[in-house]
Amino acid sequence: MKKVLQLALGIVTSVGGFLEIGSITTAAQAGAGFGYQLVWSILLGTICIAFLVEMSGRCAAVSKHTIPDAMRERFGARFYAIPLIVMLGVSLLVLAAELGGVGAALHLATGISIPVWAVPVLLLAWALLWYTSFSVIENGVSLLGLVTVAFAVGAVKLHPDYAAVAHGVLPTLPHEKASNYWFVAVSVLGASISPYLYYFYSSGAIEEKWDESYVGMNRAIAAMGMGFGGFLSIAVLVLAAIIFHPGNIEVKHYQQLPMLLTPAFGRPGFWLVVASLGIACLGATLEISLSLAYLVAQGFGWEWGEDLSPSDDARFSLTYTLLLVAASLFALLGVDPLKLTEISMALTAASLPVGVFPFLILMNDREYLHEHVNGWLSNGVVLLVSLIAAVLAIVSIPLELIGGGG
Amino acid sequence: MMHLFADVLDEQLHDVNGNKAGRIDGIVLELRDDKPPRLAYVEVSPITLLARFSQRLAHWFARFDRRLGPGRGAPFRIPWNRLTREDPAFKMDLDVEGTPINAFEDWLRERIVDHIPGS
Repeated sequence: MKKVLQLALGIVTSVGGFLEIGSITTAAQAGAGFGYQLVWSILLGTICIAFLVEMSGRCAAVSKHTIPDAMRERFGARFYAIPLIVMLGVSLLVLAAELGGVGAALHLATGISIPVWAVPVLLLAWALLWYTSFSVIENGVSLLGLVTVAFAVGAVKLHPDYAAVAHGVLPTLPHEKASNYWFVAVSVLGASISPYLYYFYSSGAIEEKWDESYVGMNRAIAAMGMGFGGFLSIAVLVLAAIIFHPGNIEVKHYQQLPMLLTPAFGRPGFWLVVASLGIACLGATLEISLSLAYLVAQGFGWEWGEDLSPSDDARFSLTYTLLLVAASLFALLGVDPLKLTEISMALTAASLPVGVFPFLILMNDREYLHEHVNGWLSNGVVLLVSLIAAVLAIVSIPLELIGGGG
Repeated sequence: MMHLFADVLDEQLHDVNGNKAGRIDGIVLELRDDKPPRLAYVEVSPITLLARFSQRLAHWFARFDRRLGPGRGAPFRIPWNRLTREDPAFKMDLDVEGTPINAFEDWLRERIVDHIPGS
């Protein structure tokens, strides 16, 4: 019975934690720019992240190692420095985008500009990390994040052309705006396959003391949690395709996001988007801050754990504090969160192989995984999708910058 | 049988109370006349870790570290015979609190963290 409850909670928190500024805005841009044509990119990204999350939970349950822990041990300090530096750099931008997303939600709610909110949002996020436990963050914020289910309800209420949506599941070449099409596809992949999600998940599994008996439950949580999360992203794409695409309206400003739900719900739709954006981005802010602090602390062998008091893991607590302060500077300086999101999601996609390839080697190492090593399907899917994402990113980012999105 | 690089270097270290005590950043072998080399110490220190990337960085850090007190400025060494393998880490028969491994952690705790209410 306890495991059934854990399973339900795991799925709910995965769903609640899936949407954030990256997945909301990239899905909205995909729907607005290309109708249902880019559904495949969300599907591909969701399948890949589901495999990665399952792998990270299995790694923790069987080997009792988190990913950074095993990476430093298996590949050595010199190699470990590469994913550490790349992850810190790219994820700091993603963290800045999420903090900007919370600020954007507060701007929409109050009319007070984002830079004014930068310090209060920083203090709120820091206080939640400093004073609460892992389960409060994982369960509390993610449960509140279920408000994002409103996107699915809204999409159904607008009666989309389901046959056309299904048609978008198969990748097709763009009819127009080719460089922008691939850039948006890459951003969607980067938003879906967020490395912080599976780093956070593996550390959570260690904090909750998973053992081999959790392997089956882990698979169910990863498949259903990420699956429902991807479904919500597709709902955002569908809404944008119905509302923005017919008028050729591009999503260039976060102020356009509330229009996703006002046709379905009227004025409450505005508040549902504000709440979804604010809560989802705050949840992602906490998860990314912790993931990066885990990455540093586990790499150096420090004491770590969100369930310890800051006094017991001072260096770990200092790490997330400094990261939050650094990422808040972007909002304080008035950097547009949507621009930051576009760049950081594309960079996430470009940098995927740096973290994913060594992780795949680990997942095939019998010294760590015993009989639970990866099968051909996990290896094939993750290798293929992360390679596709990286190659598309490396090609499309310069084209997008030169073409200015045309 | 143990492979020094695969099975010792970069492994997590725990202290006698099970607290995390850093990672094994370096291995020190003793060269003996007419006998095979012997694993004498492991080192846990930012100086050793930095030296694996750049000797200059390591020298610079050691110079800075020397100013922090007596016994500082050199890597902290633990005799190999004080370590035992307890998967998934190595365990030393010392309390990390009495070593320089946690010096920065202790400094942070005493000077900053403990002054923040509710920490």
